[in-house]
Amino acid sequence: MSKTILTVDDSASIRQMVTFTLKQAGYTVVEADDGSKGLEVAKSVGDIALVLTDLNMPNMNGLELIRNLRQLPAFKFTPILMLTTESDETKKMEGKQAGATGWIVKPFNPEQLLKVIEKVIPA
Amino acid sequence: MGDSFSRKGQNRYLDPYVNRWTTKILPGEYAVTAEDELIVTAVGSCIAACIHDTVTGIGGMNHFMLPSSTGGDWAGQNAAARYGNFAMEFLINEILKQGGKKTNLVAKIFGGGTMMPAQLQIGEMNAAFAREYLQTEKIPILAEDVGQGYSRKVYFHPKSGAVTMKKLMVLANDTIPRREADYGKVLSDMPLDGEVELF
Repeated sequence: MSKTILTVDDSASIRQMVTFTLKQAGYTVVEADDGSKGLEVAKSVGDIALVLTDLNMPNMNGLELIRNLRQLPAFKFTPILMLTTESDETKKMEGKQAGATGWIVKPFNPEQLLKVIEKVIPA
Repeated sequence: MGDSFSRKGQNRYLDPYVNRWTTKILPGEYAVTAEDELIVTAVGSCIAACIHDTVTGIGGMNHFMLPSSTGGDWAGQNAAARYGNFAMEFLINEILKQGGKKTNLVAKIFGGGTMMPAQLQIGEMNAAFAREYLQTEKIPILAEDVGQGYSRKVYFHPKSGAVTMKKLMVLANDTIPRREADYGKVLSDMPLDGEVELF
């Protein structure tokens, strides 16, 4: 059974690109367009192998999403990667403290994204 | 990487004619303001996208193009479109960071001119990309002046959303196309991947 990845980004263009790449690589993908919807999807789908989230989003940003997810028993140890235009070190540290597993700065290429994902959730 | 890919415009001056602080942006740059200020650029085949929040008056402008080198498919879009995606996202994210709301955003686009007959497609591709991107992101385009064979000087007042555009039918020098060509070269040579850090 293929692993499920949750991608959370307010940009439809980015979600399109990410979803296309992940599906091609054989993953099942669920999407949300902001943090609070991401949290809802996470709760309802449950069995998610990895979360890929943007930082700046309406309603609930990526950091708040991570903090909320980490409080759910099912997401205590789930790898969560930030995918963001922010390359600022203090933001990165905030991400780390919130419980992010890693930080990917946009722009990125598909191969690079898949490599990182394989590293944190080996097949 | 992010900064070299899409830089924030640094060139800010008090424009004596309009008596307002004005930020001038060059190819590959963007600027965002919540103040009663202007942002200005001159585009040839590049696109200047002016985006603002109709409620808060926060807005900004970028100046970008798609690089001519292609290769590597990504959601049916080639690598070139990815540059465009990120150029637009840097601008929009900065507007959101300063307090804008995505659902309040509207856009006006300028540029995509044909500067040399041999480059017929470049301007058209840039304009087509900008339209498609904004459509995907559900950001309405309120006005546009794209294509044709001239350069444009674009003044944007994010607070009101007003744009003043001057058609530059005859260029006094080759500064605009030269800057854009230099920017195009830099883009083509730039690897399209950011840094990755696993904590």
